Amino acid sequence: MKRNVAIIGGGQTFHAARRHDVDQAEMVNEAVRAALNDARMTMDEIDLVILGNMEFFEGTHMTDCWLVHGTGAYGKQGLKITTGGTVGATAVVTAAHHVASGLFPRVLCIGFEKQEEGDTGAILSGVAHPLWGRSLAGAAVGYFAMMGSSYMAAWGATEEHSAMVAVKARQNARKNKYAHLKLDIGIEDVLNSRMLSWPIRMLDMCPASNGACAMILADEKTAKARCKKPVWIRAMDTAHNEQFELDWRDVKTTRPIFSRTCAKRIYRKLGVQKPSEYFDVFEVYEPATWSELVWYEDLGLCAPGEGFRLIEKGVTEIGGAIPVNPSGGVLSTNCIGASAMLRVWEAALQIRGDAGEHQVPKDVRRALTTAYGGTNWTVMTALSRTLDD
Amino acid sequence: MEEKHTTDTFEVDQRLTAHGTYWAGKMGTRFYTALRDQQKILGTPCTTCNKVFWPPRSICTFCFSELKDVVEIGPRGTVETFTLVTYTEPIHPRTAPFLYAVIKLDGADTGMAHFLDEVEIDKVHIGMRVQPVFAKDRKGNILDIQYFKPI
Amino acid sequence: MATKIQEPISIPMTVSVPYRFAAGSYLTKCLIGLRDHGTLFAVECPKCKRVQLPPRIVCATCHVRNERWVELGLEGTLVAFTIMYLPLTDPTTGKPHNPPFVYGTVRLDGATSVLDHFINVEPDLEKIRVGMRCRMILRPQAERIGDLSDILYFDPIPG
Repeated sequence: MKRNVAIIGGGQTFHAARRHDVDQAEMVNEAVRAALNDARMTMDEIDLVILGNMEFFEGTHMTDCWLVHGTGAYGKQGLKITTGGTVGATAVVTAAHHVASGLFPRVLCIGFEKQEEGDTGAILSGVAHPLWGRSLAGAAVGYFAMMGSSYMAAWGATEEHSAMVAVKARQNARKNKYAHLKLDIGIEDVLNSRMLSWPIRMLDMCPASNGACAMILADEKTAKARCKKPVWIRAMDTAHNEQFELDWRDVKTTRPIFSRTCAKRIYRKLGVQKPSEYFDVFEVYEPATWSELVWYEDLGLCAPGEGFRLIEKGVTEIGGAIPVNPSGGVLSTNCIGASAMLRVWEAALQIRGDAGEHQVPKDVRRALTTAYGGTNWTVMTALSRTLDD
Repeated sequence: MEEKHTTDTFEVDQRLTAHGTYWAGKMGTRFYTALRDQQKILGTPCTTCNKVFWPPRSICTFCFSELKDVVEIGPRGTVETFTLVTYTEPIHPRTAPFLYAVIKLDGADTGMAHFLDEVEIDKVHIGMRVQPVFAKDRKGNILDIQYFKPI
Repeated sequence: MATKIQEPISIPMTVSVPYRFAAGSYLTKCLIGLRDHGTLFAVECPKCKRVQLPPRIVCATCHVRNERWVELGLEGTLVAFTIMYLPLTDPTTGKPHNPPFVYGTVRLDGATSVLDHFINVEPDLEKIRVGMRCRMILRPQAERIGDLSDILYFDPIPG
């Protein structure tokens, strides 16, 4: 990038299925104040506010307008982002681009969703083509179920492998005080949980969470002057599919292209040869267990068809050689508009060494995060501890 | 290059329906509980900005202070602006004609939009003094005030 | 941490939005073909040769105009499936599908794209597998309206 951009602070709410004690503005404000406190800043010092959530997922439109007291955006410049599951990451990228432009030295970005207030499934069916499958829309569960059946048929994985991902996520979440689903479960619990859409069981899916995340991004001068542990955004990339690139359910094809295209580009930008060695920790967007296994392969952490071997060998555990989602991931917390930002913020906490109980037990210098929107595109963000990395 | 398509075209009429529940939160709950149980209208003062907000909120829009107190405002107020709605749409809560007014309640610095009834249309004016008529069966929403009427 | 307040106030909301969707010329040709002739028409990209369903005017990969129409067969291969146990609502009718049922994604012979639909097989893992051959079963012509619901389901082909 022409100008360096750092994450100089951030914060999140305690994520939960019910937040009847706060309205949307009050909930968002919890994360904003946490981020300002973390950065030791006041709202007056913020030049621009980027807000992200999904239109109508909580029954409201134009949240940039009517949450203005919660976000602190009154009288400030800014805009609203709505890009599906990638919302939070797109908000970070947009904030970073504004900082990198040189026009806005200090930018606040926020992602939130109060999922219990709306009907996400009904609104999400609007993603499906009215004449080409909306009537058959199988919701997110159906999509990931087909990914699972294809994955097993193609590579010889079993339902135990996806259960291992479910267990890893919830056991990691138990170490993360902010996570929603902190479950002390084993493989049998997953396999005995309610079947939703074979091979997806209840514990193979993410929850519907309420919560918010906020981060403050700054230019190099501000970061060095104001922040003891800035985390640098080294590269960002976004890649889209075309609509109906449905071959992705056949995991053996080279489509969809979004994840591999994006990974290839971001690795080229950074000169990454072997991602599993270059990055010390990964935070990926996995709304369902099977998608984490596909991420391993699409990110090149292993060869195609070998993702389930990584989880089998424990390589991606907190203490493993390639830790993936030490926070518990989306499988443990899914407040959609915040989920992709939480990936970036959790990775930043790992680099700062501030992740607490879920801090990975090794030196973390670099991290890679992914996001996942409507299964049709991704946003990736690479972070580092120093500008030399 | 202009192209004309003369083949049959397909259009479908469909509908997207979503149900939800909005939670009023800390300040909203205090406001609606007082309205429902005591027929009191609450606002939030910001001592830094020397303003009293309606609707009540936990954060000052202007200075970003956290607000914890409430004060009773109104119930009487002054019409700041108004409109006579003369067309009917499904989204409207009433059939036309009806009057909407923005009313600044005594003690508040921001206005409340509500219905204006029991008034001759020709007599409505900015600056008109009005008072609320509370619903008998109150449910904890803004229609616990049925409408405002001239004093 | 969520702080408890007494009896939080809430209000129910329902939004119901009507819309009219226009298929456009390419999809119109495809849906009329389904309705009147009982077959699906796809388009082939002149450059990458992908046979795309639903048909679209431009290949998203090559950015060239798709002009060659390809009539697809009624048979294809199952590439993924699920046994759905949730009573999902058909968002276009508001009525629930009746679980458990099998639905899957089929690559029709001659197509690069795949198509999601119901698979007419018992929800029994012994009776369904990825790679299974299936045949598209349509409503009688008089009842077809030019919609994917004109396809009733895919029947497994024995063997």
